[in-house]
Amino acid sequence: MAERCAVVGIGQTKYSRRRGDLSINGLVREAALRALEDAQLGFADIDAIVIGKAPDALEGVMMPELSLCDSLGAIGKPIHRVHTAGSVGASTAISAATMVESGLFGTVLTLGYEKQSDGNATWALGGGRSGSQGAGGSFAPWIRNYITRSGAPEHIGWKVAVKDRKNGLLNPYAHLHLEDISIEKVKESPMLWDPLHFLESCPSSDGAAAMVLTNEAGARRAPHPPAWVLAHAKRTEFTQFPGRDTVKPAAGVECAKALYRKAGITDPRRQIDCAELYVPFSWYEPMWLEGHLLCEEGEGWKLTDEGVTERSGSFPVNMSGGVLSSNPIGASGMIRCLEAANQVRGTAGDYQVDGARVALGHAYGGAANYFAMWLVSTDKEPSFQ
Amino acid sequence: MSQLPPVTYDIEYPYTRTTGPVVGAFLTALRDGRILASRCGDRVICPPVESDPETGESIPVDLVEVGPMGTIQNWTWIEEPSSKHPFQQPFAFALVLLDGADTPICHAVRASGMEAMSTGMRVRAQWREERASAITDVYFVPEADAEEQYVAPGEGEVELTEHLISLSFQEDLQPHRERYSRGLLEGRFVGQRSPASGKVYIPSKGYDPIERVLMSESDDVDLPHTGTVVSYTIITPVQYYGQKETEPYIRASILLDGADQPLGQQDIREIAPEDFRAGLRVRAIFRSEAERSVEGMDNRWGSTGNVVERWEPTGEPDVPFAEISEHAY
Repeated sequence: MAERCAVVGIGQTKYSRRRGDLSINGLVREAALRALEDAQLGFADIDAIVIGKAPDALEGVMMPELSLCDSLGAIGKPIHRVHTAGSVGASTAISAATMVESGLFGTVLTLGYEKQSDGNATWALGGGRSGSQGAGGSFAPWIRNYITRSGAPEHIGWKVAVKDRKNGLLNPYAHLHLEDISIEKVKESPMLWDPLHFLESCPSSDGAAAMVLTNEAGARRAPHPPAWVLAHAKRTEFTQFPGRDTVKPAAGVECAKALYRKAGITDPRRQIDCAELYVPFSWYEPMWLEGHLLCEEGEGWKLTDEGVTERSGSFPVNMSGGVLSSNPIGASGMIRCLEAANQVRGTAGDYQVDGARVALGHAYGGAANYFAMWLVSTDKEPSFQ
Repeated sequence: MSQLPPVTYDIEYPYTRTTGPVVGAFLTALRDGRILASRCGDRVICPPVESDPETGESIPVDLVEVGPMGTIQNWTWIEEPSSKHPFQQPFAFALVLLDGADTPICHAVRASGMEAMSTGMRVRAQWREERASAITDVYFVPEADAEEQYVAPGEGEVELTEHLISLSFQEDLQPHRERYSRGLLEGRFVGQRSPASGKVYIPSKGYDPIERVLMSESDDVDLPHTGTVVSYTIITPVQYYGQKETEPYIRASILLDGADQPLGQQDIREIAPEDFRAGLRVRAIFRSEAERSVEGMDNRWGSTGNVVERWEPTGEPDVPFAEISEHAY
């Protein structure tokens, strides 16, 4: 690459079921202005804008990047939109990072958003028909297959649901603040898509998230410590084909391998300090620990069970509360990347992991056939042993 | 053989939009018979904006009334309006520079004919009898056609607007989907065997997704009515506009004997959830020929339409999971 990329500005909206005070334009501006303020920059300092969101049918606004460009100071500048289903937020951040690394753009504003309260995601994902099985219905059979294959006990899903909501209590931006969350409450909540209970599923949120990415010269000028982008990777596979491993998709394995190789990582769970993984349904925590080579196959649920993924554990996962606490779909992947950056910048507030210097941001989408991951670090050139 | 009719899609949804402070005030004023614009630096911008459109900088909410008179800056004539247009008789879309504004608003002008339109002509805002706090509450007419109107103000501030958006379109079934659908009407499951990989797909996409080779009618194969449940979900239906399901039901992927790809999204209503499991052997029971319909079947979704009445257990021993895991998607 011609340039290194650094995260120098982070901005988030408060996530909630309905942001009744803001238009879509107002929502994206709230995140963008906060990211610019963090970087102590203005729209005039931005060379290009990369925006991501889930399918247009979620809000019924076609090609929103066009109607949003003047709200984002994009007049006279390149703006483009990325769409890779649920993984879009992370893919968008990676597209923006690639522009900086190319050396052609000095400072890029990237953001993702969703205003789920404008429409209905289950309607939109079901092609506008009755009988949509929704995202939960699509993933539930594969989760059951994971349980069969690994022999995991049923309480693993409940534990993840409680852990991420307890983490979310420490994050002022999180949508759900479930003070009284407990294993009992999760297992007694209605069964939505067997084996997934209501409280094992993500909420439907309004919100936007933004980052300012810049090159080495920009990072030197930045008022706060940057998060250096060490490596990123995206991989895709078909949604259906004989032999497809839906529990541990090959594209997810290949994405992780490529990421670790680029970063010089040989023992990911030891060399990475913490991770924000895209876990919209509780069981995806152990599934992605295995699916992204953070442990051996069949061992993921044991890490969850032993508390390894808690904030106090040796490999904390979703310290911010994760997708289970906030899910503005198009922003959710960007939030994972941004929260990884928060950790290595030391700006994660009450959910800061002590001494975190290398963090993983991850998202998946579609029928678990799109993957996007990035690694960020406090150090520009960390050495891994 | 007669062609099956094209698939018709009618998709509609009532989106609920949060207006935010500026658009909300604009729509509230339209309902009440006034047009608002934003003061932005030394310019007055209509319709009003939340930020400076040139620079993206934040601006205070500073709204001023403009119009109701304005000047046509440019226009185009709509000779054949669609059902979604603001008028059902021919009309103009025009850029109208309202008196007091520095930027034009794009809106509809009702004129007696194209010859009545000209750039530079003066127009006046008119309000509809029934107003919905929408941009269509107002329209424009040539000054000479304008009538004096009294517009009674409504109550409260507009914060949410509802829009029933609809889209209708048709597409022909692709040839392989046509043969699949026709097979169902005849009580047959028609799949395709890839000449490259030997894998059998149903419903086929018309190509082998693994080997990336096209398949043709000569690759069609008939599959039996028996198969194995490879995966399933018990769905608790989320209630949304147009949702007809109210009670939990099972959606299953069923691998027909000899197939390599399961039939997805099969509705299971007559086997109790506690008796349902991956590995279960089942048989498709077709509706009588007169009752079969492939209405709504399209090029993307793998349903069996209203052709398979139900799946019933065959009573054979379950298939071990290891034998079906390759197809459990």
